[in-house]
Amino acid sequence: MAVTAGSVTEGSVTVGAQTPDLAFSRSELMAIELAAHLRDDDVAVMGTASALPQVACRLAQLTHAPGLWYIAGGTCSVNPHLSPVVASCCDFDLLRADTALPLSDVVLLEGRGDVLTVFFAGGLQIDAYGNCNLVAVGEYSHPTLRGPGTVGLPFLSRVGRVLIYTQSHNRRTFVERVDFLSGPGFLGGPAEWASAGLSGGGPALVVTPLCTMDFDPESLRMRLVSLHPGVEIDEVRDATGFDLLIPDAVPVTSAPTSAQLSIMRDLDTDGLLKGP
Amino acid sequence: MSKLLSVTEAIERYVPDGVGLLAVGGMHLHNNPMALVREVVRQQRSIRRLLTSPCGALNADLLLAAGLVQEIATSYVGFEHLGLAPCFRRAAESGTIRILECDEGYITHGLYAGAGGLPFIPLPAGLEISDVPKVNQESYAMTTDPFTGGQVLVGAPLRPDVALIHASIADARGNAVLGGAHFVDRLMVQAAKTVLLQVERVVSTEEIARHPVGTTIPGFLVQGVVEAPGGCHPTASHGSYNVDEEQIKVYLSMVGKEEGVSQYLRQYVTGATEDEYREKAAQRLAGLRYGDGLMSDALAGQGN
Repeated sequence: MAVTAGSVTEGSVTVGAQTPDLAFSRSELMAIELAAHLRDDDVAVMGTASALPQVACRLAQLTHAPGLWYIAGGTCSVNPHLSPVVASCCDFDLLRADTALPLSDVVLLEGRGDVLTVFFAGGLQIDAYGNCNLVAVGEYSHPTLRGPGTVGLPFLSRVGRVLIYTQSHNRRTFVERVDFLSGPGFLGGPAEWASAGLSGGGPALVVTPLCTMDFDPESLRMRLVSLHPGVEIDEVRDATGFDLLIPDAVPVTSAPTSAQLSIMRDLDTDGLLKGP
Repeated sequence: MSKLLSVTEAIERYVPDGVGLLAVGGMHLHNNPMALVREVVRQQRSIRRLLTSPCGALNADLLLAAGLVQEIATSYVGFEHLGLAPCFRRAAESGTIRILECDEGYITHGLYAGAGGLPFIPLPAGLEISDVPKVNQESYAMTTDPFTGGQVLVGAPLRPDVALIHASIADARGNAVLGGAHFVDRLMVQAAKTVLLQVERVVSTEEIARHPVGTTIPGFLVQGVVEAPGGCHPTASHGSYNVDEEQIKVYLSMVGKEEGVSQYLRQYVTGATEDEYREKAAQRLAGLRYGDGLMSDALAGQGN
């Protein structure tokens, strides 16, 4: 769904200028939200169907984080130039990059644990503690929905910060507890998380087409950070299958600037982030 | 001595019916050795256990469509941005296949163990947290770390009986260049007892010898070389042509219903020889070719 920034108001605040150029898609806004979280000294890795986080990383490099490194798992391209942005993490065009590693090298570094600082993740189910499930919904031996499989998500336990993104913000995806733990988040909450003694920092951010969320430092449960332009709190509450922590004041997610949109559109010539 | 074979001879000679562990190379919809996979279907070779790379795709789902697979060891079977794998999903949800649930770390390290003759391989702390090892005690186990006395997750070695692998070029002795990303194809070659390569083009040993660093598969690990231009279709062949997404969508739509499976197999696999398939695919491939720039870079090699 395309959102025309100039036509969206939240309360008395007009979001964006009245310029047709500033119409943006939810995916573009999600990429900007993820980019804002990336730091100049990060080394980020992402996997299957990761056009959106790849754009986020490249945008961060071209704006506030020129020192960021990012690895597109699959081809294991390091700093792919994204000319153009492609849908598959294994696309040959991703080899237009600073360098490309064998996949086994990246698996080694995921295990080493102190090199990669950011891991992008997602799931068929994502729960209140940021655990992800790409394997099976329902009973594992008789699933109601068999997912594709976990790929590298078990490594979430070893990586600095986990950034979760999904295009599906609904009650099937956002559940109180995952049916199958394929990508560890804060496990069963503070007690279990503390006793597990994992080297990873756990999930840090969740970005969806409706909102941006993070985790309450004490309860380790998901918490609303900002609502995307035009989205109401009730819409998020209704689409979330657990009690989402909602602070007293929830700001509207900043609308994209023309500079951000221009950078992304120069890369995304096929318009992969144009919809939804 | 020449290892050149027709696709028919390669499967007849090296893939026995009931093959123990069959590995299929490529990742997502890239470098799937489809010419060899289709021939396995034509010759109706049943597979006791199938192993995918960290991300299997059409290479696995087509064998499942044909009902040839008893067990699958995998960390992913799907079609990435194009959707779930219909036959994998149906087999899993109806319980007609046994799944050895794996993760990317284990598949990679397990192949390394297989290649190096390691009895098992310890895995990084934290991998024991997910539910994956809990549902696959045939591949994973907890044991005592002899150095610290702590508990450590270990994985069993992966030693494919046969690996089906796509490469860009090879000479008749099996020295081969992967003209793009390596995925875990080299590890599969190193770990497998028998390796069948399908390549876009067979070249002379003199030409191969111009790229010693980029020639990352040595012929002594290879038993058979099949020249199969366009043989990855409808998946991509790095350096040669991109994914035929339209044809992938035809597959997904037809096999999406169980009734459509036999029609797909007849129309695209068993109803034609691989040569006939290639002639039909050639026109479609013409519109999917890559330019030359990256391929020459790729020939310089990834070094590992």
